[in-house]
Amino acid sequence: MDGLFDISLFASALRTVTPILLAALGGAICARVGLFNVGLEGMMLVGAFTAIVGNYLTGNIIVAVLFAMMCTLLYSLLFGYMSIHLKANVIIVGISLNFLALGLTTFSLRAIFDVKGAFYDKSMKGLPKWEIPVIKDIPYLGDILSGHSALVYLSILIVLGLQYFLFKTVTGFRLLAAGENPTAARSLGIKVSRIQYGAVLLCGVLCGLAGAQLSLGNVTMFTEGMTAGRGFIALVATMLGQSNPLGVAGASLLFGFMESLSIRLQGFALPTHFTMMVPYVVTIIAMFFFKDKSYMQEARKANESSR
Amino acid sequence: MDKVTTALRSLVQPLLAVIVGLAVGAIAIVIVGGSITETYAEMWRGAFGSFYFLTNTLTRATPIILIGLGVALAFRAGFFNMGSEGQMVLGALSAALTAIYMPGPGVVKMIAAIFAGVIAGGLWSAFAGWLDAKFRMNLLITTLLLNYIATYFAAYMVTYPFKDKTGSAAMSQTVMLGREAWLPKLFQGMTLHTGFLIAAVVTVLMFLFMKHTVKGYEIRMLGGNPLFASYGGIQRGKLMLASMFVSGGLAGLAGSIEVLGTQYRFIDGALTSPGYAWSGIMATLLAGSHPIGTAVAAILIAALQTGGMGMERNTDVPLEVSSIIQAVLILFVSAKLTYSFIKRKKAGAKNGRAL
Amino acid sequence: MLLQMDNITKTYGNVTANSDVSFDLRRGEIHAIIGENGAGKTTLMRILYGMETPTSGGIRLDGKPVSFHSPTDAIKHGIGMVHQHFMLFSSFTVAENIVIGREPSTPLGFDRKAAAEVTNELAKRYGMPVNPWAKVGECSLGVQQRVEILKVLYQGAEIIILDEPTGVLTPLEVKELLVAIKSLAAQGKSFIIISHKLQEIIEVADRITVLRDGKLTGTVQASETDEEQLSKLMVGRDLVTLTREKKQSGKPVLEVHSLTVRGDRAKPLLSDVSLQVNEGEIVGIAGISGNGQSELLQAISGLLKPDTGSVKLLGQNVTGAPVGDIRRGGLAHIPEDRYQWGVSKEADVLENGLMGHTERHQRFGLLRGSSIREMVSEWVERFGIKTGSLNTKAQYLSGGNLQKLIVARELAQGTPFLIAAEPTRGVDVGAMEIIHKELLQRRSDKGAILLVSSELTEVMKLSDRILVMFEGRIVGELMAETATEERISLLMAGGKNVG
Repeated sequence: MDGLFDISLFASALRTVTPILLAALGGAICARVGLFNVGLEGMMLVGAFTAIVGNYLTGNIIVAVLFAMMCTLLYSLLFGYMSIHLKANVIIVGISLNFLALGLTTFSLRAIFDVKGAFYDKSMKGLPKWEIPVIKDIPYLGDILSGHSALVYLSILIVLGLQYFLFKTVTGFRLLAAGENPTAARSLGIKVSRIQYGAVLLCGVLCGLAGAQLSLGNVTMFTEGMTAGRGFIALVATMLGQSNPLGVAGASLLFGFMESLSIRLQGFALPTHFTMMVPYVVTIIAMFFFKDKSYMQEARKANESSR
Repeated sequence: MDKVTTALRSLVQPLLAVIVGLAVGAIAIVIVGGSITETYAEMWRGAFGSFYFLTNTLTRATPIILIGLGVALAFRAGFFNMGSEGQMVLGALSAALTAIYMPGPGVVKMIAAIFAGVIAGGLWSAFAGWLDAKFRMNLLITTLLLNYIATYFAAYMVTYPFKDKTGSAAMSQTVMLGREAWLPKLFQGMTLHTGFLIAAVVTVLMFLFMKHTVKGYEIRMLGGNPLFASYGGIQRGKLMLASMFVSGGLAGLAGSIEVLGTQYRFIDGALTSPGYAWSGIMATLLAGSHPIGTAVAAILIAALQTGGMGMERNTDVPLEVSSIIQAVLILFVSAKLTYSFIKRKKAGAKNGRAL
Repeated sequence: MLLQMDNITKTYGNVTANSDVSFDLRRGEIHAIIGENGAGKTTLMRILYGMETPTSGGIRLDGKPVSFHSPTDAIKHGIGMVHQHFMLFSSFTVAENIVIGREPSTPLGFDRKAAAEVTNELAKRYGMPVNPWAKVGECSLGVQQRVEILKVLYQGAEIIILDEPTGVLTPLEVKELLVAIKSLAAQGKSFIIISHKLQEIIEVADRITVLRDGKLTGTVQASETDEEQLSKLMVGRDLVTLTREKKQSGKPVLEVHSLTVRGDRAKPLLSDVSLQVNEGEIVGIAGISGNGQSELLQAISGLLKPDTGSVKLLGQNVTGAPVGDIRRGGLAHIPEDRYQWGVSKEADVLENGLMGHTERHQRFGLLRGSSIREMVSEWVERFGIKTGSLNTKAQYLSGGNLQKLIVARELAQGTPFLIAAEPTRGVDVGAMEIIHKELLQRRSDKGAILLVSSELTEVMKLSDRILVMFEGRIVGELMAETATEERISLLMAGGKNVG
């Protein structure tokens, strides 16, 4: 098993964790304002596709990422409008948005690139790899931490930034308040739905980045449904991390590691089918340790005395 | 009075959704440079244009109806069962293997295969229910994750131990079932098979079950307010396991019927790539979990898909337009559009008087 | 005059909540508004607090007309409200709860230290001590009430509206609160108190305004009135006094032995509770809500597994048995919170009425629609349940009518034992009389009833024996003949049982 756990495994874990982490942070922000966002998967898919479109059309990687962020932002606005403004069931909206994302991206793949299944163009450049001075010269650690795309580093900054925002700033405090007791927050003149919209849009931006890392970070291509359930794994990371940015980062790291491990295991004599199952099995096992809100609590919330 | 308005209101929403869905589809058609009327005409022809196309649509609708009914049952009980895909695949695999290896006359094989499919799908689904009831693991997520595990497992089974080695191709599939275990076709030369009748019967049974039986009543109350149900003496855990079993069992039945009636073997990916499971969930959402509505919605969705294929054959508009229409349909139905619209109008009127 | 509300009328569709009500408040005054449920007190205050706009009429502050479109407007004009259900964030600290909306900050963000200092300062100035760093969820209800008032003061309120401020407090906490109110009034703050507790109101208020059916029935000086006059103004007629027949002792129906429910807090939710209810007897449980009554009822009815102890129903041990088995064994249950436990809002009247009756109205697992319809129509008639039709969804019924439906459903179970928890919460006087009569009828028919109510008058009116619960224990047992309100109140507050 010597060849199994080596430096490049950890390096690839860091790479694969990034999309999950970014989406999970988005999910965490939504959860903090009381919206359980099942639509992460779809938002990420939109991000992945639009990043490729931006890249293909402009050839500029920064513009491509910004374009992906913009498009996912718009897409998340739809989620916000449905669940906040029209008060539709959040879970159903999330599921529908996943359908819509799949439909839109496969359709656009045909309409824009005239291909089915996957799009790849040699002229497209992926996200540049950054060598971090000093760190890259540290033995082992340098190989793991250095040489990733800018989004990998950005995601680390976002974790810290969100942690600070939520627990140290006034706006973050009000966001928590809006999620904890919306009625009370409203009675104090806090604009709860505005905060919810803000959270959803932020989630959209994060999912856009997640998608961009997915389609531009490693291989520069888009395939139909390429998120392959990562959005749901991100959702589990959100729950495991108790919607706490640092906790979410920890949970995402676990899943990212499992994903790279499953790829690595394919080099061994195991059938790929089983190695591909690994991340999902581990996620289920991880859920075992996280107790969901009991149905009693949830039902109580849904059936409050006031009508 | 009450009944009429609720009936009307429940009609307004899907109708509006269909209109909006077609409108968005029209935009997509224009984007790719097609003619709206011509495209939609081709779509109609592809779905219902001839007896052949009609039966083709119904064949496609068959697994969607069954899956949709299963999901609807779980939704009614308050559980988001998103695991139909895995349940269907395991059901289909079990049915195929049973039909291949079970000795005896054709009818016995057929019935045993269907039973095996139902049980496999049901158990896989009940497993998720058990995880929720026992360990409070979020059912929506576990069922989703179990899909991946089930499909990879089934793929492994037909790539290694049960692979058809007689064929020349490197396809991952089982050997062909004996002809005697096939579900008979309804019409000579058409794809439609007896599975459709089974789906129709199950639809009616489900409707009667939900409306007129004690268990159906208990399921509805559990979905409405679980605290009320437990206060009234309904045991959530047991009912959850049972309804998840039936829900997954129906997905398993859908898989078995596909194997016995259409494909005659288990082929890796043949059930997942047409997206039957997700279409079934869509049908349920569209119909608000009403059994007969779900069946109608399933046929509508199947028509959109077969119509889309017809459209792609005869125009330059790609098939994916249908998936956009489908998604928009769901989105609008789920948004309780008319409901909040009415509410807002009322609120507006009230403010108007007050000022 | 600090505040004047002139000829306020508020209608919702064809329901009139307030009709031509005028109200005024002087600086430093404590002005109480009393009335029955649905008399229009809360609507009037929601108008003042900007949560509703009046259909006609206006508000003047210091003689100048003002109009409020949201609570924020009202807060800006120095009006603060402490709601009946506290508007607090239980996972936040006391200081965070007080400063929210106007948080002190530094360039680096929210300054929690400054918030704590502000809190300490306020607490000192107004004589209401709190710990700024404590989590509100872990504070007693009395302290939470204090946090609410401090929050309103921090927002700069001159006029403070208190909606049913003493409902959840122990008598001792009530006393402290009344003292605090008086001292704040002496410092120039003005109070409007909504309540239906006449005794407290007479003690604390300067003036009292009475509403009935949305109309003003009188404004009196507190020093010149008594409970009798106020009751008359509130109800508009003398209440029928129910006569309880003499109790006959019967066989035990419910026997509870040293029941304990630990829960996940340090203190057990229910500790070592034993009680017995006999045939033809109503046993009342008095206590401030939240002292273990809910857990006791849930443990008896099978909704909660007790850690130790036993429950026997008609001699059968049913401890920890499934709810359905216990119900079949002879228990019916009017739940304490009708929306949480008692109905499914999305289901219609028939479906809600059917719960617990399925076995009598089925054949081979099939429901018999006509016999269900018959049963429920009979209740609708007997209890005067106002509903559009039997297919109207429960959410469209008013609280009182829904309560009548639940009471009818549970009485119709025809069981030897009945739990009646808050059987008349939020229903009008007429419905209350019907429900009380039915309960007493059940008692004369040899039924055994365990009554739990936070309304002391209700417990005293109906019960043969009264048990008092405090912090998860039964702290006293009194016979109806010898029980006095004072003794029960003392026990409810954790005082020792004297005599």
